[in-house]
Amino acid sequence: MTHPAANSNGQPRIDLSGRRILVVEDDRLNARIIASILRPEGYVTHEVDSGEAALAAFAQFRPDLVLLDVVMDGINGFETCRRLKEDPSAANVPVIFITAKNQPEDIVAGLEAGGVDYVVKPFQPKEMVARIRTHLHLRALVDHQQHLIDDLSKANAAKNHFLGIAAHDLRNPLTSIRGLSEFMLDGSSGELSEDQRAMLRSVHSATHVMLDLLNELLDISIIESGEMRLDLSPTNLADLVTDAAFLNGLTAARKQMKIVCRPFKPSCALLIDARKIRQVVDNLLSNAIKFSPPGTTITVEFSEDGTHQTISVQDQGPGIPPGEMSMLFTSFGKTSVRPTGGEKSTGLGLAICRKIVEAHHGTVSAANREGGGADFRISLPPTATDHGV
Amino acid sequence: MEFNGTVLVVDDEPHIRRYIGLILHKLGSPRIIEAANGEEAVALFAQHQPDLVLMDVNMPIMDGIHALEKICAANPDALVVMLTSLATRHVVERCLELGAVNFVRKDTPKEMMAKVLTETINDNFGEAEA
Repeated sequence: MTHPAANSNGQPRIDLSGRRILVVEDDRLNARIIASILRPEGYVTHEVDSGEAALAAFAQFRPDLVLLDVVMDGINGFETCRRLKEDPSAANVPVIFITAKNQPEDIVAGLEAGGVDYVVKPFQPKEMVARIRTHLHLRALVDHQQHLIDDLSKANAAKNHFLGIAAHDLRNPLTSIRGLSEFMLDGSSGELSEDQRAMLRSVHSATHVMLDLLNELLDISIIESGEMRLDLSPTNLADLVTDAAFLNGLTAARKQMKIVCRPFKPSCALLIDARKIRQVVDNLLSNAIKFSPPGTTITVEFSEDGTHQTISVQDQGPGIPPGEMSMLFTSFGKTSVRPTGGEKSTGLGLAICRKIVEAHHGTVSAANREGGGADFRISLPPTATDHGV
Repeated sequence: MEFNGTVLVVDDEPHIRRYIGLILHKLGSPRIIEAANGEEAVALFAQHQPDLVLMDVNMPIMDGIHALEKICAANPDALVVMLTSLATRHVVERCLELGAVNFVRKDTPKEMMAKVLTETINDNFGEAEA
């Protein structure tokens, strides 16, 4: 089909001339009258006189619409329609019944057989033409939308493929740069001057940042292409969160911040992918560090109800600006809040968190706290595997 | 322990071979042989019969999975550790199935990588050969 051009309203402008209509009518005279009404409208018609002939002609003529008489020798119109709809290529082709049978039950039977409309004989030519135009138009719009969806899915898949390849190929060289600079820094290859050490430390930390960015890009490309797999094992959330709080606390200390994690004891272990959930907790903690001013405190709290275990990360930063809540968990969505220590951000971290938590059938949410600051929460059900993944 | 065996390091990127080589030197004084693709690896394995092979997965000419298959088919006792960039589970499973004894991601911090290699060596040589 041709791609309709959009007019100024954004609606596709659709030229219906040249559309093909299969006319199935056992009365030759009637068939000729119908054809003589449709041709001046710019349609191409093909007339057949039975249901069997219609099924045979369909593949060759490839109509955009079928006008179908109901009462015919051989298989009737309803049965013809049912058999036609078994062919996947006919599934989207509108079928309009045209018949003298005008009882409501006849009309319902026709619609149930897969027809989209019903014209009762004797018909008004203008009415028939209008109904045909409507259905051709609808069909063209649906095709157009389908094309757009296909194009967008292809573009998104190509983007993910590109991200995957780019990130993958950039990672090995960066791994070497990081590793080799570590060897030089630890004196393995001889003593360095203080200047050289300072420069190497910059190389090393810049490489670290780049590797983190690349890993996030890779995560997104893997998640979006539907290739994320969970490696589930019974995990104590308290151990996981305490570890994360301790290690992120070292980063926080560099900004004179501290992470306070109230001790807690979950009632049961969770069946989760510990590495991925740790990634989520790390992300929430590093965000809290990134976006809060030096000297503030981050509080990690645990709560539990009958169904879910919830981790809450509360900071004393600027909170989430009004109206920007909706972009928090989208890919590349960055709010107007900037990191306070020049840290880097891809805008992917929370999108990754959301996908990981949702893959566990949990939820992630954010809110502003009454006294200021943001509160990010993840809630996980005890047995992710019960739902399958 | 001091590891002084022969190691075949297979990766198409020279900087990775150099980096891995430096990590291996932390374990002792191994003799290191380098190959830039699977085909070279198969030939060098036959020639030198190394004690340990560190094998990249994605390489031109012959990839690491194919080379692993050939080496293990000819030398069932070969000790091959796969070096992966992205540990996709099916690649790892396939390699373990074909006879790899372990795998390690290239971006693993070097101390961790040294630990994995030490464990692999200890498990397979014991103290006697160390």
